[in-house]
Amino acid sequence: MDWEALIVSYLLGFVLLNILLVLMAYMTWFERRLVAFFQDRIGPNRTGPFGLLQPIADGVKLISKEDIVPANADRLIFLVAPLLSFVLAPLGALVVPFGDSITLFGRQINLYVIDINVATLYFLAVGSMGVYGIILGGYASGNRYSLLGALRSTAQVISYELVLGLSLVGIFILTGSLSLVEILRAQQRTLILGGLELPNWFILSQPLAFVLFLIAAVAETNRAPFDLPEAETELIAGYFTEYSGFRFSFYFLAEYINMIVVSLIAATLFLGGIDGPFIDGIWWLVAKAFIFLFFYVWLRATLPRFRYDQLMGLAWKVLLPLALINIGVTGLVRLWGIGAL
Amino acid sequence: MAIEVLIFYLLAGVAIAAAAGVVLARNPVHSAVSLVLSFINVAAIYVVLRAEFLAVAQIIVYTGAIIVLVLFVLMLVQQQDLPEFHGGRPLRRAVGFLLGLALLAEVAAAILTRSLRGAPGSWTPEAVAAVGGNIQAIGRELYSAYMLPIQATALLLLAATIGALFLARPELVEERLAVARRLFTISLAHPRGVDTLQPVAELPAPQDGQLKPAGGDRSLVMARTAEEFTEQPAWGESRR
Repeated sequence: MDWEALIVSYLLGFVLLNILLVLMAYMTWFERRLVAFFQDRIGPNRTGPFGLLQPIADGVKLISKEDIVPANADRLIFLVAPLLSFVLAPLGALVVPFGDSITLFGRQINLYVIDINVATLYFLAVGSMGVYGIILGGYASGNRYSLLGALRSTAQVISYELVLGLSLVGIFILTGSLSLVEILRAQQRTLILGGLELPNWFILSQPLAFVLFLIAAVAETNRAPFDLPEAETELIAGYFTEYSGFRFSFYFLAEYINMIVVSLIAATLFLGGIDGPFIDGIWWLVAKAFIFLFFYVWLRATLPRFRYDQLMGLAWKVLLPLALINIGVTGLVRLWGIGAL
Repeated sequence: MAIEVLIFYLLAGVAIAAAAGVVLARNPVHSAVSLVLSFINVAAIYVVLRAEFLAVAQIIVYTGAIIVLVLFVLMLVQQQDLPEFHGGRPLRRAVGFLLGLALLAEVAAAILTRSLRGAPGSWTPEAVAAVGGNIQAIGRELYSAYMLPIQATALLLLAATIGALFLARPELVEERLAVARRLFTISLAHPRGVDTLQPVAELPAPQDGQLKPAGGDRSLVMARTAEEFTEQPAWGESRR
């Protein structure tokens, strides 16, 4: 067993998770400022320069609040559910490649925590586990609104997970691999269309899959316009109505970490990850993920919430057939050797 | 190698303890959560055995979909409508006990006589690595040697889907037509099913004698001072 490589992997994972935690706090600041500008307000600008210390103030506030457990709550599950959400959220980022191998101090160091041959499926599996935090939290609160929020989220996440998974099958057909590192390498080639030389990013060869992935990812992270599990106008707040203090903040943070992880994965799968003009590097990945994060906030500031039956109808009657058609067409193209690598 | 064996025993121990929790928990939701824990540990054992694809498939299919559906049903059903898991009639308990004992004996016999082990297959770790990983190995095997079972399973699932649609369909022809009409109607104004809104009959105007205060029969409470409203003393203030 290569102990040094294992330790390097652990260290990289540790650093990555910590960076994610800081980024997630600043994602809340970014969103509040941006939504404020969309709505012609100013947003938090009092705590520190440009309100940059606001996330820290929020954190201190949430930690110092009372942790209330309702009298008819299922106590153990109620206490564990937010932790489950929070712990599972950043795990998906562990398979994102932040670069290829470099040689440092005479040994080869990979700029990714781990390259497993089922990385994409691992990301989907972690996402499908994350829903337990919501379901169990809603159930354990002993509150009907929370239960309704949990039920909605169950149906929503199961439906959109299917679309999310199927939208990626086209990429698997084109690369012949489920490993994110392999998918990244496939995208670093050049695509020649007549006289044009384009990067082989999958947004160009799989545009339909990209749109489907984007829609399903927004639904999977319970963000507007698919934020029905926490529809405050209908359900008070949905599954986290009864939560307060730092347990509430765990749900909140899990949502933001999920957004960042999904943005990183989407940038790697469809926009070529670290591949870019001039010099390849992590900055391209960050810039691309930033585009997705901006898109998330933009959606939230622009679109009203879906109605529940529209949400399910969209998934099962529109997105799922489109995803299946995409798989069929991609398979045929690969079979006839047009897009063969 | 020793570390892998140690990890296996840890995972297997937790999996078995969680499986016992499934049977012993009185609350069905707790049972389902224990089952999730057990499945995750089994998936981790697959990872130790270098079967990553199987592990991820186990998590996506069993914990991500099936147990979520189980929880979904448990939440829709009222707690008191759930069947009694513990106790019951003496005959039922005796039969259950005997069946459990028989299963235990079977499994123990299979393990003790080592008849479960069988001959090693052709997919050695080297053969799996040669085709590029266990996804490729499973894919090759499934779509060549096991083609007929795969297609039979697909047919079975298709039949089950059609059966579910058949069971969920409305009873009357008119209702079916109405559903079909609604499916192809995009209504932005009304929720589904009320595309033909009937005007609501107006309530009769109340007579003078029927008018009641909104508070019901509760008598009005007059507070003379602000302190009478306060039930709890404020921070640092002593209770009067």
